[in-house]
Amino acid sequence: MEANRTKKELQERGKNKPDRENAVPNGISITEAGRKAAEQKEPQRTPRRLADAAVPVFDRKAAIKAMEEAALSRREENDSFLSVCKRMFRNNKVAAASGVILVIYVLMILFADVIAPYDPAVVNLMERLQPPSMAHICGTDELGRDIFSRILYGGRVSLLVGLVPTSISMVIGIIMGLLSGYIRGLDALIMRLADIVLAFPSIVLAMVVMYTLGASTFNIFIALSIIGWAGTARIVRSQTLSLREMGFVEAARSMGVSRTKIMARHILPNCLPSLIVLFTLNIPDAILSESNLSFLGVGAQPPDTSWGLMVSQAKGFAISSPWMMLFPSLAILIMVLSLNFLGDGLRDEIDPHLKK
Amino acid sequence: MKRKLTKILSGALAAMLLAGCGSAFDDGSSSSTTGTTNSSSGAEAGTAASSGGEAASAGEAGSVSPAGNIIRIPEADEFPTVDCQKDSAYYVVPLNIYDRLIECETVDGQATLVPGLAESWDVSEDGLVYTFHLRDDVTFHNGEKFEADDVVYTIDRMMNPETQAVNTDFFSMIKGAMDRFDGKADSVEGVKALDEHTVEITLDAPFAPFLANLATPSCSIYNREATEAAGDKFGIDPELTIGSGPFKMKDWVLNDKITLVRNDDYFKGAPSLDGIELIQVPDEQTQKLMYENGELDIVDLSSFISQLDFFLENDQYKDNIVRGTEAGTYFYLFNQAMAPMDDVRVRKAVQMSIDRQTILEQLYRGEGVVVNSFIPNGFAGSYEAEEIPYDPEAAKALLAEAGYADGCDIELYQKTEDSDAMALNQVVQSMLEQVGFHVTIKQMDDAAYTASRKEGEIGLQRAVWWADYNDPDNFLYTFFSAKNTKVRSTNHTDQKVFDLLDAGRVETDNEKRMEMYKEADTALVQEDAAFVPLFQMNHIVAVQDWVEGFSISWNGWTDVSYYNVSVKQ
Amino acid sequence: MIKYVTKRILITIPILIGVVFLIFVMLSVVPGDPITVMMGEKVKPDVIENLMERMHLNDPWYVRFVWYIRDALRGDFGESYKLHRSVSSVIANAFPKTLMLAVTAACFSWIIGIPAGILSAVKKNSIIDRLFMGFALCGVSVPAFSVGMLLQNLFNGILPVSGFSSPRHLILPAVVLGWGAAGTIARLTRSSLLEVLEEDYIRTARAKGLMPLRVIVTHALQNSLLPVITMMAIQVSSLLSGAVITETLFSIPGIGRLTVDAINTRDMPLLQGTVIFTTAIIILGNLVADILYSVVDPRIRVEGGK
Repeated sequence: MEANRTKKELQERGKNKPDRENAVPNGISITEAGRKAAEQKEPQRTPRRLADAAVPVFDRKAAIKAMEEAALSRREENDSFLSVCKRMFRNNKVAAASGVILVIYVLMILFADVIAPYDPAVVNLMERLQPPSMAHICGTDELGRDIFSRILYGGRVSLLVGLVPTSISMVIGIIMGLLSGYIRGLDALIMRLADIVLAFPSIVLAMVVMYTLGASTFNIFIALSIIGWAGTARIVRSQTLSLREMGFVEAARSMGVSRTKIMARHILPNCLPSLIVLFTLNIPDAILSESNLSFLGVGAQPPDTSWGLMVSQAKGFAISSPWMMLFPSLAILIMVLSLNFLGDGLRDEIDPHLKK
Repeated sequence: MKRKLTKILSGALAAMLLAGCGSAFDDGSSSSTTGTTNSSSGAEAGTAASSGGEAASAGEAGSVSPAGNIIRIPEADEFPTVDCQKDSAYYVVPLNIYDRLIECETVDGQATLVPGLAESWDVSEDGLVYTFHLRDDVTFHNGEKFEADDVVYTIDRMMNPETQAVNTDFFSMIKGAMDRFDGKADSVEGVKALDEHTVEITLDAPFAPFLANLATPSCSIYNREATEAAGDKFGIDPELTIGSGPFKMKDWVLNDKITLVRNDDYFKGAPSLDGIELIQVPDEQTQKLMYENGELDIVDLSSFISQLDFFLENDQYKDNIVRGTEAGTYFYLFNQAMAPMDDVRVRKAVQMSIDRQTILEQLYRGEGVVVNSFIPNGFAGSYEAEEIPYDPEAAKALLAEAGYADGCDIELYQKTEDSDAMALNQVVQSMLEQVGFHVTIKQMDDAAYTASRKEGEIGLQRAVWWADYNDPDNFLYTFFSAKNTKVRSTNHTDQKVFDLLDAGRVETDNEKRMEMYKEADTALVQEDAAFVPLFQMNHIVAVQDWVEGFSISWNGWTDVSYYNVSVKQ
Repeated sequence: MIKYVTKRILITIPILIGVVFLIFVMLSVVPGDPITVMMGEKVKPDVIENLMERMHLNDPWYVRFVWYIRDALRGDFGESYKLHRSVSSVIANAFPKTLMLAVTAACFSWIIGIPAGILSAVKKNSIIDRLFMGFALCGVSVPAFSVGMLLQNLFNGILPVSGFSSPRHLILPAVVLGWGAAGTIARLTRSSLLEVLEEDYIRTARAKGLMPLRVIVTHALQNSLLPVITMMAIQVSSLLSGAVITETLFSIPGIGRLTVDAINTRDMPLLQGTVIFTTAIIILGNLVADILYSVVDPRIRVEGGK
């Protein structure tokens, strides 16, 4: 069944965004058709020309040349990441603006020590619940801490929570996906494992992991990595499956290039562009997941703070002191929106079909 | 609120271990009542608190109840069961649908024992045999008449291991009760129905708080016929959950709403209310919004300080607040087995680094008083304790002396879902940081926290203790006796305190006893610095204009009976 | 087709067992026993022992796992530790509420998402496009609870903010839950429609001077909505799988809240029950999506077996 379907699943990408409740990387896409649906139906996007290229196995030189050509033309198909970015900046103003906002954002968070007017952890009970003013541009919270400073410092945790588990889960996912797609014996095992993770309601899985390990910022990384890898694995697997059949890979194989090398040199680079897109789309999911965990009491732990924790701590004060909820929410909104626009922009450029 | 109750009850159990406690039930000053044979049909001085609640006087305004003649109360958690032999945390339903032999009511701000299903009782000279004379005009909701056999059945059911009851401690002092629980007997030897309306209960050993104990919700009396017929469904199926109380269970939609309706045949006369709705509202802010919309009638604010500002400052609501001093103490407990808290200088430094007055005024809006002793003001054994100064400079010096001049790492533990503790902990964290501590707040969920604490592995922790008996033993023994010091994670080692607390339990001279507790308490606070006493808080409840007759009862649990409450229509 | 469906359904059984196994392993290493959590802090050891014995909690986790699987295969999911009721009855009680919420939220997301997507596609890169997509995306870009709290404040007094006793109670939580889904639907509709609009026959139709709206309705829409429809099936199942946060915030006694409570109280039977249930729903939803996809798009046939 799987083998029959793969032809039609070429180029599938985790485009369907998980809804906010289950906001974890690809938390809902266990189905194949679903992802395909999300990806618009386009059964045969692979370059036929290459896949069908006859490779004269007996002629070594010719073989290498054909392989190079194949790899080369693939590269042309996909472009380098840098040129994609350039193109995106030229064509897509929203994505470009998002990129700029993100850079500014990250810089502000990195230089929080310099920018933040107050120590984020220092409690000042005399100044609790102050509305925004010149002294506290975002107001103060129920313990008199400066919200603006806390947003800057909390951004560090949120940013880490966005980056670290996403990276870990993608690395795991890539390895699992490559193994699964390239080594037939492991395929069923890894994919069933991925099925289990994907079928598990993700927020529940994350909660159980947090309870098992204990609530701490570090353990959030682990929890989100555990729930995040499966989606990536499935995408890498299907790309691997399609790439495996292509001329340049077959050529390499027939040349006696080792499996590891083929995976690292030929297959992985070709998956990369879509993985970068996936990465930008998974970060906001991780940030939102952490918020949800914070709301349920197993997210970031004080004195650390994260945007999610700040919003959930504002729970009782949303009416009397709306700024407590508003500003951290806004921080999340801007971050997530920019990442989404950026991801969309990149995808539009990488995916030739959507090009104008 | 539920947690509080749990603690209170656990406290009750500790107090019950009191062997020869010749306790002073009426505020510690008058003579002991234990051991005397008294056949009283009137009110007996009960487990008094210094201050109970004031009656709600909120109903002057002309507004009327929008929902008709019922009251609607929010509950944050779903009740596992309303069979109070199997649950020790949720008492609002049991208090309203069942009756007990003796009831605990708040009279003039004092918790007082009054006759319930028992009209009167005699206690033998040696304090071992209690004879209860039962009312003959009580019927259960199913029409069955209440008889002595129901009492026998209720006690036997609790001790029957098949029941899987959790509140066996309330009857375990009865002769033969433990044999029944251990499967060595088929009935509880010490309980006998002398005739249809007389029950005799014999104890293993004298137990002064026995009558007060019978007034706890866990000792509610069940009907044999109805309860046996209901089997596992008792306390779960509203149809089958039969009591004799002022309200009957009508409906229970899981995780949504419990509906109680008036029992017209109640032996004290039907209540004024048509019914009570207990509505599940887990979120604090939602509770507040619903109160504003008039969808809730009574909201207990003690459990969520985040809404306090709003209610106390709102012109419309601030006059509708009912207050009563809580019968308990807030404090920080050190774990003396954990570094750096094993050094008394570090503990003293912590004591002096916390600005309690500011916290009380700013965080809790001054709704309470700062205390310097474990024993709350107005309780038996309370005394004018020496004040712990707020002195960060001295704290710094002490830390340096203890070898922590460059900073001192300390871990503060709390339960994940305890947002009130979190607010306080963050303030204290910040205050401690200013004298050179590095505080990490460690959160654990309920299960893990309790398990670790039992092993003596919880570090600095905020704790609260609400009394159930007016006796200092109830406070001190629970935390600092040789027996409990590990399970409470204090790991206290002062032999002098251990000896004093053990001696206090058997000492019969009341004045001497109180002197002993004062000595132990002073040693704990001043010499050992075993804990940081914080506050005695106010219990605060928001009550709608149209609700009349609501009062905060002080009887060890925060749930109350709504028998006397009425609404304007 | 039938063969294929049967096979897919059979595959879910090992997945479900795997899910249960995962819970057993993880929760068996967590400190804290359900009895202490349920009964409070100072229940006497002999009482705990009595209960542990009667609830078979003294057995090692793998033994309990085997027993659980055996009972579950017979349809007996045990009794909730905390609620003293059979897990099946508790879930049966909660599911209709979750179902109603999920369906309402899904409808909301389609009503908002599809028109927004169409408008955005037609007026590509215009202000309207940006506005609609921005609005749709806001739903996915903030935590559900902050949207929920905001709406509770805005609509307090106008709409019920808590509970589940009338259809009106559904409105706010459905909006909160559906907003996120609306974003996904709107984006999908937009990109899907854009793709179709680029195709030759549409261009031809346009070139012929046909009304854009008519072109969209008669030609483009029916083709472009196919992926959207399958997405809907997936979404319904994902909404059903427990809107944990929305249900907590709005006090809706559904599956999501049940699950969180079960984790908090170490109520293993209930947790396993809810997780098995929601997992099954997710898998089922995806199966429906796959079948639906093959029905609406004849180019893709679901093959039975090899």
